[in-house]
Amino acid sequence: MKFKLQNPSFFKTGWGLKQAMRILKISLVLVLATCFQVSAKSYAQMVSINAFGVSLEKICMEIHQQTGYNFFYKDDCISAAKKVTVNLQNAPLTDALDACLKGQPISYKITGKTIVLTTKKADNDQQPVKLIKGKISDSKGNPLSGANVLIKGTIRGTIADSEGNYIIEVSEKAILVFSFMGYQKKEVAVGIRNEINVTLQEEIAELKELTFNAGYYNVKEREKTGSIEKVDSKTIAQQPISNPIEALTGRMPGVQITPSQGLAGAGFTVRVRGQNSIAAGNEPLYIIDGVPYDSKSMTTSSVSQTFRGDLSPFSLINPSDIESIEVLKDADATAIYGSRGANGVLLITTKKGKEGKARFNISYNTSAAKITKFHTLLTTEQYIESRKEAYANDGVAEANIKERAVNGTWPADRYTDWQKLLLGNTARINDFQASVSSGNSNTQILLSASYRTETSVVVGDNMDKRGSILAKANHTSTDERFKIALARSYTMQNGALPVYTQSLGYAAVSLQPNAPLPYKEDGSLNFETGFTNPLAEASCKYSHERYSLLSNTVISYQIIPHLEFKANLGYTGTELEDYSAYPDTYRYPASYSDSKYSSVTRNNASRRSWTVEPQINWEQSINKGKLIFLIGSTFESQVNKQLLTSGYGFPSDELLNNLSAASTKYINGDDKKQYKYQALFARLNYNWEGKYIVNITGRRDGSSRFGSNKKYANFGAFGAAWIFSKEPFIKEKLPFISFGKFRGSYGSSGNDQIGDYEFMDTYTISSKDYDGVIGFTPTRLFNPLFAWEVNKKLEFSLEMGLLNDHLQVTTTYFRNMSTNQLVGIPMPATTGFTSLRANLDAKVKNTGLEIQLNTVNFRKKHFNWTTSFNITFPKNELVEFPDLEGSTYANTYVIGKSLNIKKLYHNLGVNPETGIYEFEDYNNDGVISSGNDKKFIIDFSTKFYGGLANHLSYKNWDLDFFFQFSQKTTYNYAVQIYTSGNQSTLTLENRWHKPGDEAYLQRYTTGKNSAAQTAADRLYSSNEAYADASYVRLKNLSIAYTIPESILKRMKCSLYLQGQDLLTFTKYKGPDPEQPGQQIGMIKRVNFGVQFNF
Amino acid sequence: MIFSLNACESFLKVDPPQSQIVGELVFQEKNLANAALADIYFDFLDRITSASYFTTYIGLYTGELYYTGSQFSMYEDYINCNVLPSNSTNKGFWSKDYTAIYKANAIIEGMDNSTTIGTADKNWIKGEALFFRAYLHFYLVNLFGDIPYISTTDYTENSKVSRMPVQEVYAHLVADLIAAKELLPENYTSTVERVHINKWVASALLSRVYLYSGQWEKAQSESTSLITNSLFTMETDLSKVFLKESTSIIFSLKSQSSMNASDGTFYIQNSSYISSHAFLLSEYMANAFEPSDQRRSLWIGSLTTTEGNTIYFSSKYKEIPNSTPSKEFSVLLRIEEQYLIRAEARAHLGDITGARQDLNTIRNRAGLGNTNAATLNNLLEAILHERQVEFFLEVAHPFFDMKRMGFADTVLGSIKPGWDATDVLFPIPESEILLNSNLTQNPGY
Repeated sequence: MKFKLQNPSFFKTGWGLKQAMRILKISLVLVLATCFQVSAKSYAQMVSINAFGVSLEKICMEIHQQTGYNFFYKDDCISAAKKVTVNLQNAPLTDALDACLKGQPISYKITGKTIVLTTKKADNDQQPVKLIKGKISDSKGNPLSGANVLIKGTIRGTIADSEGNYIIEVSEKAILVFSFMGYQKKEVAVGIRNEINVTLQEEIAELKELTFNAGYYNVKEREKTGSIEKVDSKTIAQQPISNPIEALTGRMPGVQITPSQGLAGAGFTVRVRGQNSIAAGNEPLYIIDGVPYDSKSMTTSSVSQTFRGDLSPFSLINPSDIESIEVLKDADATAIYGSRGANGVLLITTKKGKEGKARFNISYNTSAAKITKFHTLLTTEQYIESRKEAYANDGVAEANIKERAVNGTWPADRYTDWQKLLLGNTARINDFQASVSSGNSNTQILLSASYRTETSVVVGDNMDKRGSILAKANHTSTDERFKIALARSYTMQNGALPVYTQSLGYAAVSLQPNAPLPYKEDGSLNFETGFTNPLAEASCKYSHERYSLLSNTVISYQIIPHLEFKANLGYTGTELEDYSAYPDTYRYPASYSDSKYSSVTRNNASRRSWTVEPQINWEQSINKGKLIFLIGSTFESQVNKQLLTSGYGFPSDELLNNLSAASTKYINGDDKKQYKYQALFARLNYNWEGKYIVNITGRRDGSSRFGSNKKYANFGAFGAAWIFSKEPFIKEKLPFISFGKFRGSYGSSGNDQIGDYEFMDTYTISSKDYDGVIGFTPTRLFNPLFAWEVNKKLEFSLEMGLLNDHLQVTTTYFRNMSTNQLVGIPMPATTGFTSLRANLDAKVKNTGLEIQLNTVNFRKKHFNWTTSFNITFPKNELVEFPDLEGSTYANTYVIGKSLNIKKLYHNLGVNPETGIYEFEDYNNDGVISSGNDKKFIIDFSTKFYGGLANHLSYKNWDLDFFFQFSQKTTYNYAVQIYTSGNQSTLTLENRWHKPGDEAYLQRYTTGKNSAAQTAADRLYSSNEAYADASYVRLKNLSIAYTIPESILKRMKCSLYLQGQDLLTFTKYKGPDPEQPGQQIGMIKRVNFGVQFNF
Repeated sequence: MIFSLNACESFLKVDPPQSQIVGELVFQEKNLANAALADIYFDFLDRITSASYFTTYIGLYTGELYYTGSQFSMYEDYINCNVLPSNSTNKGFWSKDYTAIYKANAIIEGMDNSTTIGTADKNWIKGEALFFRAYLHFYLVNLFGDIPYISTTDYTENSKVSRMPVQEVYAHLVADLIAAKELLPENYTSTVERVHINKWVASALLSRVYLYSGQWEKAQSESTSLITNSLFTMETDLSKVFLKESTSIIFSLKSQSSMNASDGTFYIQNSSYISSHAFLLSEYMANAFEPSDQRRSLWIGSLTTTEGNTIYFSSKYKEIPNSTPSKEFSVLLRIEEQYLIRAEARAHLGDITGARQDLNTIRNRAGLGNTNAATLNNLLEAILHERQVEFFLEVAHPFFDMKRMGFADTVLGSIKPGWDATDVLFPIPESEILLNSNLTQNPGY
């Protein structure tokens, strides 16, 4: 092994690799030196041996030299022996022999000065052998098919059959060990019995049993030094969701998930401990089975108006294939991801095959989904009344009213509930899953397939389909030195929705209730004058088709004991083709009655990335502690391609998806971008008796997004934990503390989420031309000198388990400081540009308190009840920003306030005389202007958020319910006076009606009165347009029943009923406090499913 | 296993993006340099043809137009002559021009350094860029007064510039335009469409700059060279002045493929096509014409609303943008202006007869009789009036004329209630002063 470190700056890393390498070398020397620590006493009956992985033959030689005893054995006896690891000081000879032969298939006999080694016969020759049989079952009496039975101290054993029965031949002295995955081990001495029935207790999800995936390594919950949260497959399975990110909503402190809209395929915003970056991205780094997964949407809003360009790549991941999702939050956990860990790291691990006989799992579930809440809008009668008042207010005589809905052109007795018509569909979701898992102790495989269809709440024939296959194989060589894990998943997905979903949502709330019906009597679309038919628009379809291949291979080889070489190889390929088709039939036929007006815009995009990560792992016990050292490197490359095209004028609407049929074709963009990334990382962990733990991680990495001298940077973190409950004085004095840990960490990670190539001096090819010449425009003021954004994270945490872990509390305080902000430094326009990409000396601080509480309320044979609760109090603050007043952020941010503020007009209420809103004139110049009078600051930061989960089980019944809550202020558009279209019924009660009225809302207006119109416009950007949007939501309810196996032979069957987003308690007036301004907001889902395991 | 970070440096090398070209390559090939130039042309087209261009705002500011659309708050500050240093539209006028100036400077520098493009092509491209640099500064100096004159792409220098007195700016513009004239060819690239810059285009602007800076003799000789040039003859049929093949045109911006000048979209009102931006001509403007002025009947349209009111709108351009094929392009420079430049220059030089003669050429063409003005002052007033009715809604001509001839305060003070004497100049955008302490604010802001 040769390490070549040529870059001298590398050594400035502080506690970097150099140090780690030194430790590695020193430790190796120590190990070799201590292998044969020889006691000076010769020919004594006492023996001192300190050996690590030494062959038995050498041990015998050693004992011979120390004691003078001779050994007698057959070669084949001793060659079958395992390597010996013992640490003995002045032990009696027999003890030494017992220790060295422990677990070996070898017994000894001392005759005089000779020790005879013989191969053990099954059990003990002297003991009578008999047949033991029995049944292994769980606490509910269900047989545990596939459970292991092992004779202690041997490798002999058997496996329970499908009824949980076993038979084994043992001696009376033997001890049987019963085990089954997910259950506590049980040991039973055979004695004189002939039948041994055992009941295995299910392992309760206790902290100490949990293992966390920390990316390049795994760590036990109790021994972790960093902040890592986990959601497992059980929690995911309770939720009828299509995007796995949704499963995290409210489940983890410090992790905030916000949906962008309630459509299948739409994305979620994920913020781990707040917004750190002003202008670079705030997305966490996503890793699926060790391979980075780009969360950026591959479409653009010019093609996908439906999703506003945000078609989530995560909707390609089948939630049922996921074993766990871990989120890394603090410096200790994220620094190993270096330049990309600033916003946290989200690790997704897929399920893998299990040991044992072939297990089949088939499940089917079906859901119905509907929009939870609509606006309450005026009826036709109320509408006409309100408009007449508005016209009267604006001085328009009733005879001069042109509006068809009011002047009698449209019948006053017609009423259509447009919300119900346009958004009132019940979406149907069908989901079918099948998987098979099989394997022995060396090789396990899993094959899983799923197919899902989902229709939409939006009017029309909209269907989203997804099929996926996951194949996994794990293999370990018999000598356990070579391991390989293969994972491949392939997903196909396609879907269609109206292009103008957003405006359909708008039409649903604004169309006059007596507007004409969308269809004429002959079934054709109604294009009556003065009526914009929403169903005509709905015929423009946005379609998307995606293919994704995720492939990952991990190979490892134990070169010498304690030292393992590992390589992680990954490839991800995603392809997207999406297009919006606008048939001419959606347009007003009198003006556009020809298919030459039909058009299509199309996007063809692909993303390919590969990653190679060689690593070396080294584990060694030193004194009472264990040292783990990891060093590795990352090579990553990603290529994004995009081709944007459009076509106009098709001979027929049938040909809309064939661009060659268009009479005019445009290429709106053709691009290929490359991103490369390279890193060297290391981790050093020392764990002293599971009591004192230190963890040091470091990374040096380079990204192609920075100029030649700025490509590399170093990141590192230090974490430490003290499990004080292991201290004797705690055990004695405070016995009710069953577990106690104090941990802290400090370190840095970075952010390179800016666009590619920004350091380069380039000209961009524009899609615009002049007189046939395509233009090139200078892309930017180029600056090759900018570098990483840096996020320094500090955290302290106290984890406590009380009363035998019946009560567990974790309290964490964190402080993240983001500096070196990658923003556009504001430049005077005389430079030709308004900003220069550079590191600005701005500072953003995120602090917060996270509390997690788990309680075991009942733990009885048939009844269990556990509760877990989490809450986060976040605080965001812009600490510094040089030249803020002159920058483009002048109207957006204020130093000392959070990044989530808005500067608004201050509404002084409705003038009782004029009936028009008045606003505060901050600079008293007699004019309300946006520059000078938008001074009222509202902070939209969430004050606190969290979740409360309960799990109850009674015999074969399981009940889970989960509440999510949040306190914040948000846009409250529901109660306002619009100048056209329908209104909320709340306006009726709250509007100004006549001079002297003290009203909350201003007078009705049609926009003809410019003062009222302007006031209505200003209200949207005033404090009054925002309201408390705190809520408590019953996010999830799940009831499951498992049919006892006494009824179904050889098969486990469970039935479940789940509900998502069922109830919301809030003062907020709009449909969904989480998605202000969205008509298609929260959608409640009810799901019924059945699952078979056999 | 070898970790070699030096090897990694090369691993991190990436190909430039497919949609971008490395800066230094652009000026090594004629077609690429022309593409950089096309971008400035397109910028112009894009801005001049959008409602956010200053023609419309100045129209509202000076009372040529009034607004009935639904986005009143967008135009409010201009309508009330209350443009504040924080106004974002005002900032846009400033910053978009300087962005285009950066592009022009990049081309000028690129051509100076280019070793591979032939001299003729190099001269032509550089000449066009020089013209653009002068044209952009010309509008900045007339909107904002003293302004920084930018002739480099170096942002360290450009971020600390100071304002240059107006006359000095004009001296730079004269130098740029003389240089451009020398570099540019005499012919247009096309026989019908006058949509690229040549020597005469530079000359026409030079003539205007001479006039604005009071260099009467030079203005007279420069305009004469254009008037006597057989390429340019005034269209006698007033309804044809703005057609793309009009012989009045010295320079027009060609609309996007098979489209028309978008002036139509903003100003034309008729029963089948209602503009979403309702910029209507004010009564003040409609009444500015003498009774028999054909421009009143041919360049102004009117409609009677359902309420029985008459509205007026500009119909210099007759086509809405996407009526095919292209008939009208946006005219930036036309020969009529040169007659009025010469009339004014001659008046100042004491050649009253010559001045009257040029003024009458324009008047007679519009069906009007000869002017009565005989003294310098009367002539100047007559020329100002003539310019108002000839060039209304053409890139702020009337406003600039009022200002330089000293009539702005009298005229606008009487028709705009919010008018202050200091409103002749717009404020330097607030953010510019915050970011560059060398810049000072105009009086009154």
